[in-house]
Amino acid sequence: MNENSTNTEVLIQYLDAELQGEDLETLKKNLTNDQSLREELENLQLAQEATRSYGLKTKINAIHGEMMHELKENKSPKASLIKMIIQNGLRVAAVLIMLVGLSALYQYLTTSPEKLFNENYHPYIIHEMRGVPESSMLREKYKKGNMDSVILEFSSLNSPQPEEYILAGIAFLENNQSAKAIETFKTLIQKNSDAKTDYFEDDAEYYLAMSYLNNQEPEKALPILEKIQADPKHPYNNKLSEWFILKVKSLHGKG
Amino acid sequence: MEIKKDFTDQSLIQSLRSDANPDEAIRFLYRTQFRLTAAYIKQNRGTEEDAEDIFQELVLVFIEILKKDKFRGESSVSTFLYALTRNIWLNELNKRGKSKLRDENFEKSKDKVDMDVSHLIVDRETKSQMMQVVDKLGDTCKKILLAFYFENLAMKEILQTLNYENEQVVRNKKYKCLKQLEQMMIAEPNLLKNLKSVLL
Repeated sequence: MNENSTNTEVLIQYLDAELQGEDLETLKKNLTNDQSLREELENLQLAQEATRSYGLKTKINAIHGEMMHELKENKSPKASLIKMIIQNGLRVAAVLIMLVGLSALYQYLTTSPEKLFNENYHPYIIHEMRGVPESSMLREKYKKGNMDSVILEFSSLNSPQPEEYILAGIAFLENNQSAKAIETFKTLIQKNSDAKTDYFEDDAEYYLAMSYLNNQEPEKALPILEKIQADPKHPYNNKLSEWFILKVKSLHGKG
Repeated sequence: MEIKKDFTDQSLIQSLRSDANPDEAIRFLYRTQFRLTAAYIKQNRGTEEDAEDIFQELVLVFIEILKKDKFRGESSVSTFLYALTRNIWLNELNKRGKSKLRDENFEKSKDKVDMDVSHLIVDRETKSQMMQVVDKLGDTCKKILLAFYFENLAMKEILQTLNYENEQVVRNKKYKCLKQLEQMMIAEPNLLKNLKSVLL
């Protein structure tokens, strides 16, 4: 083996973190003094980077085909919502036929967070504010019902306004991204707490609870819902029936 | 029923950065970000096909940035991806000579996100050239290099998938393959120069 190939082998060992002790110290010293050795090290490093990039691209290509198929099947969120409603409707009908005559205990056993969410979710109605001459672009997009655009717009904002957190949170929730919805509502509540304000706090609380429910976390939804129920002045108080809270409690018990 | 995993920003970053199986995290990116990217591309003179190409590029670039610890977490993943998308697509439009045709919305959107990500991105043409060079390697070489550098398999594991006598033979073969790839890249001086300016 000639000197060049010996160098290359040592350089590869160095890049693979396999070089130790005296050999490592000698190479480091040689790299300081030898420009061509440094260049070869960089070239080998790029060859490794290229290999990793190639591998990742191949993996992404494979997933891409599969995901395009999935996304095209569920292209419209409205279509998937209708599909979900039809599926849930069929499920409820089937359950009703089969379970006529069975006691409330059975209902207790069949309650699920998704079912509760779907039965009790109230779409957010945008409040028209008097004296506010200009509406934000995000607000306008929300009014048009285009949740993708709302999320896109929200992503581009450096300092979103409180209402924009609410609208983006709802958009995440309606796009079935509960974790992102939770993150967004919690951010607004935290910002209010830090600034000692309460902008859209009531809305954030209710939709945070619903997001937890949709994210299969009834145990986190329950204390928020109980707080709303205990406060007759809370604007969402009349949306929460005793029966609903009881069902959430039963889910909590199941958990 | 198939369970589709949900991620927070933190868990998504962790999963894409780790060398373990990031497939679910990539699928999550498709489910949550593809429609946004496609909407942006189509609003700015692109087609559905452009959106698919750009999105694959976006996922690749984002994961590489995470693996190199160059994402500082100063913005949400969604905001960062938006900035990356804009940058990749703007470069593509410039290359196609359509930059003067940008509409008013596009100009407006440019002002909203001032995050500079250009230094993190190898342009698509350079990247495509790099992929072509790797693609020219023989199948065995690709298999060995990918197993070692992409899948992070140990020599012993690689030996089990190939017909070689022992680990030392595989090690020698890996050395020759990497050297061969290096030589193929040196034969493309512009490619090498462009890659060095971003990757090193």
